[in-house]
Amino acid sequence: MKRSLVFFFVLVVALSAFAGSSNKKESFAVTPAVHAADTDTMRALGEQRFRANCGRCHAAPQKFPPRAMSTVLRHMRVRATITDEDMRLVLFYMTQ
Amino acid sequence: MGLKLHYQNQKPHFARRWRTLLPRVIGVFLLQFFASGRGQSQVIDNEKPIPILSGTAGFLTSVTAGQTLLDTQINPVLLLPLGDRWLVESRGEFEGQFQRQPGGGSFGGPVDKHLDYLQADYIANRYVTFTAGRFLTPFGIFNERLYPEWIRALQPDPLILPIATASSDGAMLRGGFPVSPAVNLNYAAYVSATSIDVNGVESERHAGGRLGFFFPRSRVEVGASWQKVLQDDRKNTFGFHFAWQPAAVPLSVHSEVVRSNQGSGYWLEGAYRLSQAHFWQKAMRHTEVVAREQQFFSGNISSDDAQSFGLPGASARETDFGVNYFLKDGFKAVGSYGRQFSSAGNFNQWTVGIVYRFLVPLGRAGTP
Repeated sequence: MKRSLVFFFVLVVALSAFAGSSNKKESFAVTPAVHAADTDTMRALGEQRFRANCGRCHAAPQKFPPRAMSTVLRHMRVRATITDEDMRLVLFYMTQ
Repeated sequence: MGLKLHYQNQKPHFARRWRTLLPRVIGVFLLQFFASGRGQSQVIDNEKPIPILSGTAGFLTSVTAGQTLLDTQINPVLLLPLGDRWLVESRGEFEGQFQRQPGGGSFGGPVDKHLDYLQADYIANRYVTFTAGRFLTPFGIFNERLYPEWIRALQPDPLILPIATASSDGAMLRGGFPVSPAVNLNYAAYVSATSIDVNGVESERHAGGRLGFFFPRSRVEVGASWQKVLQDDRKNTFGFHFAWQPAAVPLSVHSEVVRSNQGSGYWLEGAYRLSQAHFWQKAMRHTEVVAREQQFFSGNISSDDAQSFGLPGASARETDFGVNYFLKDGFKAVGSYGRQFSSAGNFNQWTVGIVYRFLVPLGRAGTP
């Protein structure tokens, strides 16, 4: 029984570590994907996410300077619990 | 029989061992869960964020039951990003409410100032953000998302707004992530650990949470909130919210329902942007018409307690209509009319004014 528990524990650690490393790969893969993707497609996706997420509460604001927009989106990510992917796409759209 | 007895003897031993091991297993899972976002910071921001000062300034004139009130309000918001994952944010409220003194004379009244929130956020990964400090209580959607004057479609507060929305002082976990291509889940869980009442900073011990599901294709969000007071009567409060922005028409619908010891009620609001009108298009596309229907049902507290809490002293029903004209981005003229029906007396409420949303970068704002 003790051996089974140790095996189970090791399995859990291995699986969760693997899951963690998968996420890392995924997160790092976003940047090249964003840069390689067609700008128009990204902008269209960003606008779509912008209207779906930001439009839930307020009218479309003007586009602010990129670094200010980045701060605003970090704030909105927390405040409106928008997803990480949506935040990136909206930031791309709002800074183009 | 012997085998059964053997099993029965082993079961407590196994259960004991499992009880010991389970926290470790959960701990490892949690460590991995929180660690899974490491490295993500490199792609969180395309541009390095800078501190900004934003907020709302508004000047409103309202006439409620014949009594004129001049309301001047400034709500500065300071956002201070630190590194790739931190954000310190704060909002203050400075509000002057001026009325003509009884018997005539000039307008006068108190200037109230208080801190709505001062919080530090740590974005651990795509699933979890830790928040500590004083924060807006995530109960329903109005308090957190729709409260600022430049965002709200009607300037008068919903009748049920004071319920379960006192600011919290403690810690919170929150986040939003897709659970499928068609559904995003958002959540918040919090504990307000302190009970403070010093110089206008008030809080109470409570804990609660909110769970919401957003369907991006249909642009519908539904959710529920819960809060338990951890002092005095230890009552529970429940709330439900709904939001819908159909893609085909410039309509925005919001609603909240709440049930608590202090009272219960609902509000339902629709705001329609007249951008699809075929006449006076230049003006119409800047114009928004709004309607709100709401009802409040008295709870198990006295009328005086309810009023000191910011609630109506008796059950009430109110219907409001409004028009907003967007002069330019973040700058709008507002006007509304509402009538409240209550056993304590019916009255009209007129509101007109202007509100402005400002944003000032506190640093070099262009691309580095």
